[in-house]
Amino acid sequence: MFSCSFSRRKWIPSCNSTPFPSSRNLIWQMGSLDERSVRGREDKSHLHGMDNVTQKSDFICVADEGSFSGVSRVSSVKMLSNGVCRSIKTVVFSNKLNLLMPFGPVAILVHILTSNQGLVFFFSLLGITPLAERLGYATEQLAFYTGATVGGLLNATFGNATELIISIHALRGGMIRVVQQSLLGSILSNMLLVLGCAFFCGGFVFIKKEQVFNKSTAVVNSGLLLMAVMGLLFPAVLHYTHSEVHFGKSELALSRFSSCIMLIAYGAYLYYQLKTQVHQYVPLNEEGSPSPSGESQNADDNDEEPEISKWEAIIWLAVMTAWISFLSEYLVDAIDGASKAWHIPIAFISVILLPIVGNAAEHASAIMFAMKDKLDISLGVAIGSSTQIAMFGIPFCVVFGWIIGCPMDLNFHLFETAVLFITVIVVAFLLQEGTSNYFKGLMLILCYLIVAASFFVHVDPTKDDASLEN
Amino acid sequence: MGPIDERTELDSDEEIPFSTSPAVRKSHAFDCEAVHLGTRRGALNSWIRKQMGFRTLRSIYIVLLTAKINVLLPFGPAAILLHYLTGKHGLVFFFSLLGITPLAERLGYATEQLAFYTGPTVGGLLNATFGNATEMIISIYALQNGMIRVVQQSLLGSILSNMLLVLGCAFFTGGIVHHEKVQLFSKAAALVNSGLLLMAVMGLMFPAVLHFTHTEVHFGKSELALSRFSSCIMLVAYASYLFFQLKSQPNLYGQIGEEGANEEDSENEEAPEITQWEAIGWLAILTSWVSILSGYLVDAIQGASDSLHIPVAFISVILLPIVGNAAEHASAIMFAVKDKLDITLGVAIGSSTQISMFVIPFCVVVGWLMGKPMDLNFQLFETATLFVAVLVVAFMLQEGTSNYFKGLMLILCYLIVAASFFVHVDPANDDD
Repeated sequence: MFSCSFSRRKWIPSCNSTPFPSSRNLIWQMGSLDERSVRGREDKSHLHGMDNVTQKSDFICVADEGSFSGVSRVSSVKMLSNGVCRSIKTVVFSNKLNLLMPFGPVAILVHILTSNQGLVFFFSLLGITPLAERLGYATEQLAFYTGATVGGLLNATFGNATELIISIHALRGGMIRVVQQSLLGSILSNMLLVLGCAFFCGGFVFIKKEQVFNKSTAVVNSGLLLMAVMGLLFPAVLHYTHSEVHFGKSELALSRFSSCIMLIAYGAYLYYQLKTQVHQYVPLNEEGSPSPSGESQNADDNDEEPEISKWEAIIWLAVMTAWISFLSEYLVDAIDGASKAWHIPIAFISVILLPIVGNAAEHASAIMFAMKDKLDISLGVAIGSSTQIAMFGIPFCVVFGWIIGCPMDLNFHLFETAVLFITVIVVAFLLQEGTSNYFKGLMLILCYLIVAASFFVHVDPTKDDASLEN
Repeated sequence: MGPIDERTELDSDEEIPFSTSPAVRKSHAFDCEAVHLGTRRGALNSWIRKQMGFRTLRSIYIVLLTAKINVLLPFGPAAILLHYLTGKHGLVFFFSLLGITPLAERLGYATEQLAFYTGPTVGGLLNATFGNATEMIISIYALQNGMIRVVQQSLLGSILSNMLLVLGCAFFTGGIVHHEKVQLFSKAAALVNSGLLLMAVMGLMFPAVLHFTHTEVHFGKSELALSRFSSCIMLVAYASYLFFQLKSQPNLYGQIGEEGANEEDSENEEAPEITQWEAIGWLAILTSWVSILSGYLVDAIQGASDSLHIPVAFISVILLPIVGNAAEHASAIMFAVKDKLDITLGVAIGSSTQISMFVIPFCVVVGWLMGKPMDLNFQLFETATLFVAVLVVAFMLQEGTSNYFKGLMLILCYLIVAASFFVHVDPANDDD
């Protein structure tokens, strides 16, 4: 989900080697009043290396003074609670999206008190959205501490954590079609809606000129995505040409085999990205940023120092994941009821509504970067997320289904497969040009509307694949 | 403003170099004389009548008699005569085909002349709307007769013909004429245009894919509703496309248009050859003529299919678009021979984009208004052919060069497509 931070780190490798990380740990762990003022100062301006050094020496003096056990124990408890409050303030209260957080508990209440599945579904959707965004934030904060390699891995894994968690719950409930459709909808939404909104907003803001992005990166990414989609398509094509050796079973075995291969490919992709990021992406970004604010990128307020400590980040990561997992269960349980209550097909809920949750944060960040004329990052977010789902999310779910004995396979049905294939080809072709304007964004959004409308009147064929559906 | 420029240059090459200046001078001279003759009403009226008569004759001369293609004009009335005298639908069809072709070309000429007077914005809109007027008129007639498959196939055939046949002929003839070098065209413009065409075709395909995977909620009805919704969206997209083109054309497309205009300015003065009201008048006359003949054309399709023993699909996909595209065909070839491949591409791809983004959704909406179940569900074969053709041509254009071999390949592909439609019959058990 926050692959944007990953790509950010790709082009500012200097950010990874944050100045004096160990001293920062020391500072945060002290947790005194002085630190709060330091933190306040940090909130207002960039904290440069020099300031760090002076404060480090100040705090070492304080540390020396507070080393008496009794005094330190009382003050450490106070420090801990201060730390917790501050941490909560940073993580929970500083983002406007977190206004939606109360909807989570409300959804649980509604589930227990009434049986209005439609409301439960809607509220849990709203409740998961801020949690997903905060999860990305925590991942990004943790990545400050772990350095480039592990940070990239973290981003790659937790980037689509929300979709994976929802899919795991759905698999355990045996709702294979929901999993397939929600992952497919996530790819479609990233490629059409997120990209379209980013192009449109960016083009609107920069209406005088054409925005450019780095063609080679876009071509490489869309080539990878095409290959991933190709790998996903063959089991479906095999099934639909009715040319399997053992009808139904061969296709499942082929899906599982393909998924293992895709996971290997994903591992290689991560390795390749992390090894070559230093060489490949730094010079590209320097020449690929046409705006006059290119020089200020290095002094950008994006590559600022982390806002919470390492352990806080890990703890928040765990807390968020647990919360999302908890809410996803209610969400998945309510899908069927919501579909009946609102009279809309399950396909529409899975393909269009569920991915909105997982992609909300990426959506917002892609639009924001496009409006700042940083289309490369927007593209990285959108296409990178699609590639991650296609190469990691979907095969992972197949393997997980294999482990728990659920017949999840790569046979998205004919309509979904055709839609995915057509969309990926068209968008890959569009990106080859290297320019963007609001009209292209509008066309992408309109195409997404047509896709959404198709799924609104789409129902799964009941006669054909009864054995493969739940 | 590519289309306007190329049509101007088209006429300057096709017509006798009838220089406008003496005519303009003459009419001015006559105007002065008319004013100075005094206020005697009778003499003035007769003089004005004589002048109008003169003007009408001149107008007829310019519009009707100066283009070589107009030798086909008599076939129009001949077709009507045949329709009433004999029952030979094959001949009626054939003659009305021949009769409409010059009218379509003159319609384009009149549109272009009018565009001189209305300025670039409205001129662009005019070109965009009337550019495919012939196809639209034929389609509306066919819709009224309930021949929905004919409409779908003729519009699809028009896209295929533009992308394969027109482009192929242009590349081929241009490559033969300039065979010692490789012709170049602007990659960026080609990419933009083919990207738009791909998106438009994608938007058109989803209803068909939905129907053919048998995954609709209400079989048959959902797909029609989806088609209508998609058509409205495509019309909105077309309107924003026009808006975007007209707003940004100084930045994006002006380069190409300006290049063409600068090179051609020395050869022909971009001065209109007929007056504004004459242009409007001719526009109306030609449109009504095309309408009348289309009526006979559409009525004769079934009979021609029976008597000539060829499937209706072949007539719709291959023969009908020849009429609508004849003028574009000629101009594309001419520009390729002059080594102006950018304009050729603009004509071919632009026309395909216009049909897929405007004419097809427009026909769906017109069918909606008429109560006919016209939808975007071209059958599986047509949809697959369209997608493959658009994809392949879009990829091929990425290279930015052309030679006679590429043109030959495109023409041969079109021959294969035509042969497929020659042995194609609609599945009778599936559709209404």
